[in-house]
Amino acid sequence: MSSSLTREGLLQAYRTMRTIREFEERLHVDFATGEIPGFVHLYAGEEASATGICMHLNRDDYIASTHRGHGHCIAKGVDPVGMMAEIWGKRTGTCKGKGGSMHIADLDVGMLGANGIVGGGGPLICGTALASKLRGSNNVGVCFFGDGASNQGTIFEAMNLAAVWKLPVIFVGENNGYAEATASKFSVACENIADRASAFGMPGVITDGFDFFAVHEAAGEAVKRAREGGGPTLLEVKLSRYYGHFEGDQQTYRAPGEVQKLRETKDCLMQFARRVTSRGELSMAELEAIDVEVKTLIDASVVKAKADPLPLPEDLMADVYVSY
Amino acid sequence: MTPVTNTWSRIAVLSVPPRPALVGIIANPASGRDIRRLTSRASVFPNAEKASMMVRAIAGLEAAGVRDVMIMPDSGGICGPLFRALSVTTGSPVTVKPRFIDMPVTGSADDTLRATELMCQAGAGAIIVLGGDGTHRAVAARCGQVPLLALSTGTNNAFPEMREATVAGLAAGLLATGAVPAEVAVRRNKLLRVRCDDRTDIALVDLCVTRHNYVGSRAVWDSALLEELFVAFAGADAIGLSAIAGQLEPVTRSAPHGLHVRCADTTHTPQQVIVPIAPGLISAVGIRDYARLLPGQPVELAPQSGTIALDGEREIEFDPSNRISVELDLHGPLTIDVAAVLENAARRRVLRHYAGCPA
Amino acid sequence: MARKITYQQAINEALDQEMARDPSVIVMGEDVAGGAGAPGEEDSWGGVLGVTKGLYAKHPGRVLDTPISESGYIGAAVGAACNGMRPVAELMFIDFMGVCFDQIFNQAAKFRYMFGGKAKTPVVIRAMYGAGFRAAAQHSQCLYNIFTHIPGLKVVLPSNPYDAKGLLIQSIRDNDPVIFLEHKALYTMEGDVPEESYIVPFGEAAVVQEGDDVTIVAFGRMVNYAKDAGASLRKKGVQCEIIDPRTTSPMDFDTILESVERTGRLVIVDESHPRCSMASDVSGFIAQEAFRALKAPIQMVTAPHVPVPFAASLEDLYIPSPARIEEAVMRVKEYR
Repeated sequence: MSSSLTREGLLQAYRTMRTIREFEERLHVDFATGEIPGFVHLYAGEEASATGICMHLNRDDYIASTHRGHGHCIAKGVDPVGMMAEIWGKRTGTCKGKGGSMHIADLDVGMLGANGIVGGGGPLICGTALASKLRGSNNVGVCFFGDGASNQGTIFEAMNLAAVWKLPVIFVGENNGYAEATASKFSVACENIADRASAFGMPGVITDGFDFFAVHEAAGEAVKRAREGGGPTLLEVKLSRYYGHFEGDQQTYRAPGEVQKLRETKDCLMQFARRVTSRGELSMAELEAIDVEVKTLIDASVVKAKADPLPLPEDLMADVYVSY
Repeated sequence: MTPVTNTWSRIAVLSVPPRPALVGIIANPASGRDIRRLTSRASVFPNAEKASMMVRAIAGLEAAGVRDVMIMPDSGGICGPLFRALSVTTGSPVTVKPRFIDMPVTGSADDTLRATELMCQAGAGAIIVLGGDGTHRAVAARCGQVPLLALSTGTNNAFPEMREATVAGLAAGLLATGAVPAEVAVRRNKLLRVRCDDRTDIALVDLCVTRHNYVGSRAVWDSALLEELFVAFAGADAIGLSAIAGQLEPVTRSAPHGLHVRCADTTHTPQQVIVPIAPGLISAVGIRDYARLLPGQPVELAPQSGTIALDGEREIEFDPSNRISVELDLHGPLTIDVAAVLENAARRRVLRHYAGCPA
Repeated sequence: MARKITYQQAINEALDQEMARDPSVIVMGEDVAGGAGAPGEEDSWGGVLGVTKGLYAKHPGRVLDTPISESGYIGAAVGAACNGMRPVAELMFIDFMGVCFDQIFNQAAKFRYMFGGKAKTPVVIRAMYGAGFRAAAQHSQCLYNIFTHIPGLKVVLPSNPYDAKGLLIQSIRDNDPVIFLEHKALYTMEGDVPEESYIVPFGEAAVVQEGDDVTIVAFGRMVNYAKDAGASLRKKGVQCEIIDPRTTSPMDFDTILESVERTGRLVIVDESHPRCSMASDVSGFIAQEAFRALKAPIQMVTAPHVPVPFAASLEDLYIPSPARIEEAVMRVKEYR
């Protein structure tokens, strides 16, 4: 529960959320210059979700992520410098410039990939959790998916499988209200993604994705339940993205001023800073020091990414198979 | 009044009610989805069932002669199935076409507040509420003197009743049309009012000061973090935080007092009470002392920092700089006593008739 | 020591020996034990055709019945492979790839490349394929060519019990995702199979009959039809060299090339449809690499470009036969 967060925990939470925000805001700016190849889907606005959940995870717990995966990567411990190089398509990137934004993965830290296929991660995370369970470890798997993926058969199959095998899985439905340009109000046949949990005999809980403390507390209970052998949970996080489905999306489907209002009234970093400082748990100076450190890190990651070498021609053929 | 049978739908209705009446219905699509599904064994109430309850309530209203029903809109979870149930060309249980209020849907408690205001402005004679304690608290904050028919959608509630919606609709309709007089059918409830500096808020059942630092996931289930508890009423058979008071000194809904309980660490007090503080979750709660809470006598709190839970949900974060007081108010919302309405109707033969012999 | 067992027993033995050798090997699929949660026997089926029968009792907790939920459990096998297990997932009929292909070709096949060489996905997906069981269009296809098309997958087509065991053991020990395809008509085929564990390496074709007149490349069950045709042709004085590639990815093109350069005549026998098939793949390769060696146009003996029919009379027409192989060989032999 929130009261159990130590000072270090609060500092870590802020640093993670700020790193994600800075990383994404910087990509938003740099993508507009046309120098970054491919598609980029930004996580800005949703930081409390990835952070509040991944703070309960260990290195050898797995997560499966989505198109909008940068936040999950950073929260799970993937190096932002390598990520930036990856997004710039450089040989020094997390995936040697062969995955790109939609496929960043780092199995060394339990990050099973930002998946380019909507709903692709559900079955995979059942597999990592099955392996954990068969080995008798208490590791868990977290499947992040969006409101769009909530309608995919793979997610339903994964929920059923996790329930049947009582797997240590937390399904985190990040409902930002839009699947690409289509409102979840239109595309999701029930009011809440969490409503679907009862069909699989698992608890379904809604939490406020703008409130780090709400996500952290709910995730803590779900992870604890999974580690103790209680089986899967569906956690619906209601949140919003600040940018388009992809960079370049003009978001004409959104209401005028919608994002601005959210930024001003509900922003997760703003709320977090106000609340921890008003209770005297952290000082504004401490938070500002983190802001500076994070900005320096992200600036440096961009400078490095730009200067880093492109993959070599021989890399084209490398790493298709372990052996062939 | 002449009871007639609507041959198309075979519904018996009172054809000429004493006066035309408007009844509002509010159902919270997010109720029953909080963390208690995870931390305890709280029930999951399907939205499709809430929609069915609304259809049944409208059937009751129609039978009582209500022709005008206003519904709070949502993004489709309840209103979608409701609309479909009422749109079928044959076999619809009701002929009344309810109005879905034209208002923006935010998906938050603001919808409930706004819908309540609009129903009151439109002259609703009663509002049927489907939800938990939290939903009722929101409606009570805006309903003024319009009586509520409080229906529970779940097992975790103290304020609303678990009751068949058809009967509830009938009772609300008989009251709204004037077929049964308000003085026999409406009860005044108490409420708890909290002031935190300039902010005020209310609770209908219980108000709990906790050592949770943040509102977080809202629900309160860890008895070790309870500081103080105020209740407006507390049944000995209650579920939830009010059950603590209910096992110390039960307080009825009509008693002119509440109860103020100060909790203590179970390792530091010999006095403990074992209560169901959430469905499936029975805890030992340490008790320092307790006393009756009298109306008009605000209790000042001298807190460190923590949160205040209203009807079981953390709502207010405070720190030592805040000035906080809690007061019992005997003039809370009005609710409809379903049994009293129908007993009155029976005594006065409101729903009886003889074929061919108009009353 | 070798003794005669069936293709089906060889597969069962390979699974059994690998499970005993390596605790990270698990078997999962629909009814691979059979009877989970049901009131009768817990190991009632051992797979729809009994291929995994008996493993459940020998390896407690490691033979997992799944819901009929192919995306779910095939994906779970892939995820478990990323987390240190060596799952052997049974897809039952290969036709069912249609409901789970994303987990195979977008996930398992691409992880290593997309993740910059960090991932290792040692999953085996077993399935039965092929026509001849009057099972009609949705339970009779070959489809191995579709998997062969995908970089990152390995595709294995054993044509006899010896290869079935050795190739399956190699598949389980292999660190890449392997599609292991078993022709359902071969399950009862008997052959000499050593009791001890052994591997048949990938990418090494078997020359099942030597000859200098015509090269026949045949896949899976068609190897056996080619042998029948080859025996008959030998009586007519035509010496065929019959090559069984055994794996289509990796594919031993060298052995085929060497043989065609010697014979100058090539017949390819593929039970699948002709378009974008293994037949057209080998044909294209030889046309490019051995054009000058060819003495006759390459002949492809395949099923027609139609779904697999149900009626016995039609299905028999559909499946390439030894007689059609013989005709094709004679056409290239007599080409002037």
